[in-house]
Amino acid sequence: MFSKFSSFYEKGRNKEIVAGLSLISVAVILNLVFGYFAMIFAFYLSFFKWDYIGQMQFVGLKNFEIVIRDLIRGFHGAPYLLSPFYTGLKNILIYTAIVVPIQTFLAVVLAAFANQKIRGQQFFKVSYFLPATTSSVIVALIFIWLFMKNGFINYALAHIIPGFQPIDWINDRNYLLLAIAMVAIWGTSGHFMVSFLAAMQAIPREIYEAAMLDGAGPIRRFFFITIPMLRPMIVYVVVMGLIGALQMFDLAWVMAGANGGPGGAGYTVALDIYNEAFTRIRPGVAAAKSWFLFAIIFTTTYLFQKKYGRAMR
Amino acid sequence: MKKAYSFILVSVLLIAVVAAGCIGGGGETTSPTPTTVTTTKIETQTTVKTETKVQTETKVQEKVFIRFAGWSAGETEMKNYQRIIGEFEQKYPNIGVKYEVIPQMFHENILASFGAGVAPDVFYVDSSWAPIFIDKGALYPISDLADKSFIDQFYPFLLKPFMKDGKLYGLPKDWSMLALFYNKKLFEQAGLTRPPQTWEELEEYAKIIADKTGKPGLAIYLGGFNRYVPVAVSNGAPKPWFEKPEDASWFDNPVVKETLTWYINLYKKGKIEREQQGKTPYVVQPSDVGAGWLGDAFGQQQVAMVISGNWMIPFLADQFPDFKYGEDWDIAPVPAGKKGRVTMAYTVILGINAKTQHPQEAWKFVEFVLGPYGQKELVVKAGHTLPSIKGFENDPDMWPQHKKTLSFKYDQMIVFLWGPKSGVLEGKFSDAMASAMRGEITVDEAIEVMKQIVQEELSS
Repeated sequence: MFSKFSSFYEKGRNKEIVAGLSLISVAVILNLVFGYFAMIFAFYLSFFKWDYIGQMQFVGLKNFEIVIRDLIRGFHGAPYLLSPFYTGLKNILIYTAIVVPIQTFLAVVLAAFANQKIRGQQFFKVSYFLPATTSSVIVALIFIWLFMKNGFINYALAHIIPGFQPIDWINDRNYLLLAIAMVAIWGTSGHFMVSFLAAMQAIPREIYEAAMLDGAGPIRRFFFITIPMLRPMIVYVVVMGLIGALQMFDLAWVMAGANGGPGGAGYTVALDIYNEAFTRIRPGVAAAKSWFLFAIIFTTTYLFQKKYGRAMR
Repeated sequence: MKKAYSFILVSVLLIAVVAAGCIGGGGETTSPTPTTVTTTKIETQTTVKTETKVQTETKVQEKVFIRFAGWSAGETEMKNYQRIIGEFEQKYPNIGVKYEVIPQMFHENILASFGAGVAPDVFYVDSSWAPIFIDKGALYPISDLADKSFIDQFYPFLLKPFMKDGKLYGLPKDWSMLALFYNKKLFEQAGLTRPPQTWEELEEYAKIIADKTGKPGLAIYLGGFNRYVPVAVSNGAPKPWFEKPEDASWFDNPVVKETLTWYINLYKKGKIEREQQGKTPYVVQPSDVGAGWLGDAFGQQQVAMVISGNWMIPFLADQFPDFKYGEDWDIAPVPAGKKGRVTMAYTVILGINAKTQHPQEAWKFVEFVLGPYGQKELVVKAGHTLPSIKGFENDPDMWPQHKKTLSFKYDQMIVFLWGPKSGVLEGKFSDAMASAMRGEITVDEAIEVMKQIVQEELSS
């Protein structure tokens, strides 16, 4: 047996296969255990009532019914404490609608600037990308400090806009979500800039040269060459942005708190799933809610890909 | 063909090895390590001739490790626990204790660890969470392990929340009760000579202090149902108890409504409206004055009064050594209502996991920490809180601040527990109250929300 194995291993090609497989197996196993197993277990869990200690109790679709009742109640205008899932969903949709377009747009613009051959450009590339390397919790903590009523952001705004009244960003239900969205845009656009930069550098120079011969200026070149050529990357960035925004947890957790802050303005679906599982001790309902969130993310990204995602070439 | 076969075999093997590496390796902490324990027995026999027999016995005993989880009320407490664990391990060399501190969402974490099958052997349980743990059979009945004489050392009212069907599920490690902490210097500046006696006077004093000293008179938490309960009960409301959906009617009691309105308006009037008028707020929450919690706000001398528990006392001594008890601040009983004086008591047990593999060893540890020696070292000398066993009332080592809180006379003392789902209800009630205090919903809406929460949480 062993000699067979070693003779198998002797062959150069097989050596590579073994090395390759053993390297990827770690990632595959982690993905199977923490990704697919967790997903399947969540699906299983969503039909049960459980409190972690006792036996799991089969309740059929009751957990899903709780979620739907929450949504219906929310539509009828119940206070946010009684319809947490609806509140979280509403907030997260607004948040996504703000964050994804702005972050994508900003990332393209930043990438276009970073793609110029100007001295010192490397410094800007690094500084745009830096937020992506920083822990989101730290970022949120720093921004809480900046967003304070007598913090830097109000100070700066008061100097730019005459007659500006300082806003209590974090403690005002009208501004909390906006503040979180601003932090998210600041933190992620640099990250997506790198994706766009890579895609831009893959655009053949000849196209630009031909356009220049035809007399197209830099702005026309940007809109008629760069943007269309970037389309697959834009689709990728929007899809990743959608998934990230709809699952947002960390920023809300730090900036708004587990209960979503004033008026539940910073409450998100992910926070609600967490609270359901660990504060209200209803892991079954939490699992049902996470399947709802999955369905929402799946359909939005699927529809978007179907509409815009077709390969260009 | 053969090649493909062995290729599949090798890859399966590989994955199995990696998987075993991932899955295994967790149970190391509980694997017993053999240690040598030498016991020396000396037997003296007095018969016709005195004979002394010295018998030395060496046997290999397995060392058992138990895991002990708690939250932390600060670094001092953690250090004291580590010290007592060291002493315990010296006394019982065959038992090792692994101390784990879970700083946030403690009970939720413990519940989740039950779900994963890795719950600690000994862990804190707050009275408000006890029913959930007891009902689900998560706690080992302490009455099966402890002698009656040991249990009888404890104050009976502290044991009540942990009893079910004649069995006792936990012994409190200590306890605390609410009292009024006031800043003597700020009182002097405002021309006040004694602490407020009634709830109305409390608000009045807060206003006077704000006007005269420019510092808010009172700090409270937004929400905090447990801080409101003494107000309601002292004004004549029955003690809250939510066991079935119909118990939501507690909120229909006119006294409950009236006092809840007063309590919520404290912040609305004292902070929001005062600031709109451009005046110093007289009621704030800790974060309004840049403090993390009530103790911090009081210690920084940003506010003149807070109502808090004994856990605040060691914190003040530790963090604000220049802010001295007696000279700079003092303690008074919680203000009285129309029907007497009521305070809240908070207590935490060291629960033993019902599924522990080493109940005897866990009990030995609990007995050591909770017994007279442990409480003397941990609670009385360190001044953390109040000892839960009787007989320390006049101990010379007891901090004067704690002695004073114990001397207050109350008509009723309510232990933090409002029925089988107290912990969950407390959180949700507090959210609704905080929302009303910030003025997002009216008091009536908040009451409606709280009633619905009771009905929902207790209907299944």
